[in-house]
Amino acid sequence: MLSMSSLMGTAALMVQSGDAKAAVEWAEHFQKNYRLMTAEEKAEARARLERRYSAEYGKQVSVDTTEAQPGVLMGYALNIRKCIGCRRCVKACVEENNQSRGNKPGERIEWIQVLRMERGEFSKDKMNHGYPEGLGIQVGGNAYTPAGAVLEGQYHYEPEAVPEKDATYMPIACMHCEKPPCVKVCPVRTTYRDPDGVVVIDYNWCIGCRMCMGACPYWARRINVANPVLPKEAMNPVTHYLGNRPRMRGVVEKCHWCLQRSRHSRYPACVEVCPVGARKFGNLLDPESEVSLILARKNVFRLKAELNTFPKFFYFYD
Amino acid sequence: MNKFAFHTMVLAFCCGVAAPVFAQDAQKKEEICFESRKGASEITKREIKPGLPNVKCSPKTGAALWYGDPFDGTVPMGKMPLLEKIPEGHAVIKPRSEKLAILPMCGTACHNGVGPAFNPPTLPKGKKPTPIPTMAGLLPGIENLQHGRGGIWCLDCHHTTKRDKLVDHFGDPVSFDQPQLLCGKCHGDKLRDWRDGIHGKRIGEFTSTGKKRWFVCTECHNPHDVQDGARNRGFIQLQPESPPQLPRGLKDAKHEKLHPIPH
Ligand code: SF4
Ligand code: SF4
Repeated sequence: MLSMSSLMGTAALMVQSGDAKAAVEWAEHFQKNYRLMTAEEKAEARARLERRYSAEYGKQVSVDTTEAQPGVLMGYALNIRKCIGCRRCVKACVEENNQSRGNKPGERIEWIQVLRMERGEFSKDKMNHGYPEGLGIQVGGNAYTPAGAVLEGQYHYEPEAVPEKDATYMPIACMHCEKPPCVKVCPVRTTYRDPDGVVVIDYNWCIGCRMCMGACPYWARRINVANPVLPKEAMNPVTHYLGNRPRMRGVVEKCHWCLQRSRHSRYPACVEVCPVGARKFGNLLDPESEVSLILARKNVFRLKAELNTFPKFFYFYD
Repeated sequence: MNKFAFHTMVLAFCCGVAAPVFAQDAQKKEEICFESRKGASEITKREIKPGLPNVKCSPKTGAALWYGDPFDGTVPMGKMPLLEKIPEGHAVIKPRSEKLAILPMCGTACHNGVGPAFNPPTLPKGKKPTPIPTMAGLLPGIENLQHGRGGIWCLDCHHTTKRDKLVDHFGDPVSFDQPQLLCGKCHGDKLRDWRDGIHGKRIGEFTSTGKKRWFVCTECHNPHDVQDGARNRGFIQLQPESPPQLPRGLKDAKHEKLHPIPH
């Protein structure tokens, strides 16, 4: 078996040969799975990445490696009645998390999708139009015009102004499941659930097989089919190893609840820009946190709860 | 008109046109975006560190899209009943009064307590705001107040004698920076949810005792126009950000409208 020291030796040799870039690539190629790395190896990887990104983007880039904090289990709640479908959360996520933003097909990546659905009808004059005729309104709405219970709708809506009449908006991103199907299927175990509830990806170990994309019931994962397009001036230099550091072609990415922020107690980017305050984030282990209070007090549901994925993302309404 | 005067006029005209263009150039360098709703609160872009701005604005809608510094331009919230558990200085707001340009004049220029001698003060009997030309000029559409469905009028919210203040339950003046103390008079359930972080918006640190900027009621709702109009859900309509990229090979998203629900 190749020992780390022999690898380091080879890397050092290559540095001496003056090819620093090759040395970095060599070291990266033989890097262990992030979860199995020792603290020193993590520090090394971090320093290497910081150097590389700083040179590439022409500014001081930091790559954080903060671990999950004890006593924290992150949770998210979204008020489905308040969302007006403005998509500011989508764009905030892109600004924060260094997604690819080119114009060619496959070059533009957004992690949040906002689904526009028709409102179901519970109008007075149709109250008796259920099936069978005359027996009144049926479960799930009128039998002829069901309430927006199916996840059918539009992602590409573009009206002058939102919210539109008779429309309901449902933002969807990674649900940070307690039993994540994506983690089960990953053949190289590069995606896993950290103790604070966040499902993360070590991009260096991702082989781009897209098993997780097929397994995710919430369409949360995106693959970099093309070389990511990330303009220097738009790049966010505050990054986390498991979070928003720039990705390479051929790896899968998704929402990670803005680890680079949330591991330092800061709200995720999408929470901060939502103009109606529909997005709520907090520590589920703290009974005083806003998410705990929502769970205690409001009507809450999880998307596709019947799949037993146990999401940590809750939808609620007043 | 002689030729000279004409030329002067042309020159003046050109300068008149040119000046705003220059002004616009100067403004362009200073990027300002609105936060929750247009016209309520704004934030000016600047750099916190090289390559790291305090805010990013949407090139499409002009809305704030990302906060580098959530506490830009904030001051301590002030006393708020039942929020004592939050450590000193950990609840901050952006002062509303700075945005209300005529506020400093309200209590001095017109409503200075001298005015027409009301002795004893006589107030209108009905709840319908009386058309006052000056007020209508300052606040277009105010005679058609869209709040309270005809049940309230100006002095239910504005202080009778101190016109640069709002008024609370007990007739005491309330600062424009703390509208929650007034709004909670009627919307008690919302005040409770707001205090607990369930209603409304806070940015900064998510821990329950962390430092947060609280958005106050009037930053999101226009108190003179909150009822259903050409919108729903109590929030003014606004322009959405652009839709996601179309799947490869598609020219438009017509296929999305072909869903099987008969409407
Ligand atoms: S938590 Fe962060 S990464 Fe996740 S959707 Fe929101 S902005 Fe994007
Ligand atoms: S920013 Fe808020 S209101 Fe706008 S689409 Fe996202 S969740 Fe909905």
